[in-house]
Amino acid sequence: MRAEPIHQISRKGLTVWRLYGVIQTVVLIIVAAFVCYGVYYFEWPTFIYFIAGAVVLLSVILSVYLFPKIRWDRWRYEVREHEIEVQHGLFVVKRTLIPMVRVQHVDTTQGPILKRYNLGNISISTAATVHTIPALIMDEADGLRARISELARVAEDDV
Amino acid sequence: MSNEIYRLHPVSAIITTIKALKSMILPVAIIIISNGFNFSFNFHSEHFFETILLFGVWGGAAVLALVGGLIKWRTFVYWFEDGELRVKYGLFVKKKRYIPFERIQSLNYNEGIFHRLFGLVKVQVETAGSKGGKPEVELTAIRKVAADVIELEMRRAKSQVDQHIEAGQSLDSTHVEEVIVPTIYHMSIRDLLVLATTSGGIGVVLSGLVAVVSQFSDIIPYEAVFHELSDFVKVGAFLVALTVMLILIVAWFVSVMITLVNYYDYTVRIEDEKLIITKGLLEKKRITLPLNRIQAIRIVENPLRQLTGFATVVVESAGGNGETGGDKKIALFPLIKKSDCLQTLAELFPDMNWHPEFTRSPKRARPFFYRIDFIWLIPIIGAGSYFLYPYGLLSLLLIPLTILLGVWQHKTAGYMIDGKQFTMQYRLFSRITFCMEKKRIQSVECTQTYFQKRKNVMSVKATVMSGMTGMTGNVPSLEQRDAETILSWYEY
Repeated sequence: MRAEPIHQISRKGLTVWRLYGVIQTVVLIIVAAFVCYGVYYFEWPTFIYFIAGAVVLLSVILSVYLFPKIRWDRWRYEVREHEIEVQHGLFVVKRTLIPMVRVQHVDTTQGPILKRYNLGNISISTAATVHTIPALIMDEADGLRARISELARVAEDDV
Repeated sequence: MSNEIYRLHPVSAIITTIKALKSMILPVAIIIISNGFNFSFNFHSEHFFETILLFGVWGGAAVLALVGGLIKWRTFVYWFEDGELRVKYGLFVKKKRYIPFERIQSLNYNEGIFHRLFGLVKVQVETAGSKGGKPEVELTAIRKVAADVIELEMRRAKSQVDQHIEAGQSLDSTHVEEVIVPTIYHMSIRDLLVLATTSGGIGVVLSGLVAVVSQFSDIIPYEAVFHELSDFVKVGAFLVALTVMLILIVAWFVSVMITLVNYYDYTVRIEDEKLIITKGLLEKKRITLPLNRIQAIRIVENPLRQLTGFATVVVESAGGNGETGGDKKIALFPLIKKSDCLQTLAELFPDMNWHPEFTRSPKRARPFFYRIDFIWLIPIIGAGSYFLYPYGLLSLLLIPLTILLGVWQHKTAGYMIDGKQFTMQYRLFSRITFCMEKKRIQSVECTQTYFQKRKNVMSVKATVMSGMTGMTGNVPSLEQRDAETILSWYEY
């Protein structure tokens, strides 16, 4: 059995994902409210109330509690001298190996919510693919970006 | 090095104009047809205004296209300097583009019908950075001699660099000019016929027919046709079968004609580490592809061809445009006997192993190949059987078919690691053998679902650069140990 990559992402990342779930749920609640109003006003069948309620409830359970937890537990990354290995996935566990010599450039991005928590995403681009490590502590992300680009500089010209 | 400035041939103005006009024909045709040909130049007619508007706009556009073509021809110049191809064009906004020769991925020559009338050629220069399938530089029409000059300049620049490195070696540029060019592959008419018959071309032609018919659906009096049709069915199944046969034959014939026009005289040659592909009946095309730019090789065998022992060989290349703009996959050998293909490939790429022995997917992984399909099969069968009661039950046949396909896919799934080479084999319908070198692989990914984890199997994906987005090979459900072997092999 191959060992998992060693690093986990920041605990605050879980909070941010929960927050995304909350935002998604709020949007759903607004939609559900409109639908319920429609049911009341146009006298549509009442079981629609229950469907709307169930959808909102499911969203709370899944996208606020369960999915962020599974995703966070699953997320692992490791930056070694010659390659980057990441593991992620919700239902399907994906493990990706990216050699340093293949890395073309590295980006860090930060949206308003991530900024509030001082987190950042780091995207590693090869010629053909892009791999993102989400919700790293900003200093760590910047350090990682610097390190990857330094390690990747020792590249041959194959593409 | 001469800094002589070259221009396009005057005919290029006409060609540019025609190209611009050609893209307008379809919308204009649609407008004319949807208007039902209600045109009139009579001032009192109610259609007068529409007609004037339409022809006015169209005429204006045509004039603009002509002026644009003329301007492009007048302003476009190119020359060679410092080992670079330099172009300059534009009337108000001047654009300059310098391309170093060693960055050129491929040099494509195209001779359309117009070009051939005047002995001209269209040259497309591509680098790895070509965006959206557009070539970096397009010389719309130049004389063939001028096209040869480009190649000569490239070679001279290269030999000068060589001379810098190895000062003792005297490389005469005129000496390099004529090289014996061995043909490595040529398609005979018989091959073309087989290609046309076994490719999906017939399907394309049929769906094309359907598309054309549906375009004209407003014009065709369907009710009358269906009325006739019901009479027709009564006449007998024999006639129906005959008509179907006839349609199929026509489709086959059209697809043969299309293949013939596109692939006529398809030849692959190799010249100082570059593959040169020439083809075409009306429009002659020539594609140059440096061997060291090839990222990976795929051997594709669709079921029909696998039975008859034929295969298609596709090369994945980082730049290098195929026939259509967006598609960067070049069918190196559109149709070739499997045994010949392996031999030729072994000659072309001697470092690679062309007789792989695959490690197959384990037996316990078999259900993964068809089980997932039941998710969409069961609703379809349920709905089909319920709504179309007696005949809908026929959809139950999908179950054994899916399982058979799954078993077939399971039998095909396998991989091999040999030194620096990774070969995957898998199928959806066509069997694909994907050969790549370690140094060309951009990333490797292993995926495992919850169910796969219980059975200790893992799927493996490997991506190589191809065109803009890359090409991914995917072997589903290998032994977990094997998948981990692949990951460890791919590590530094």
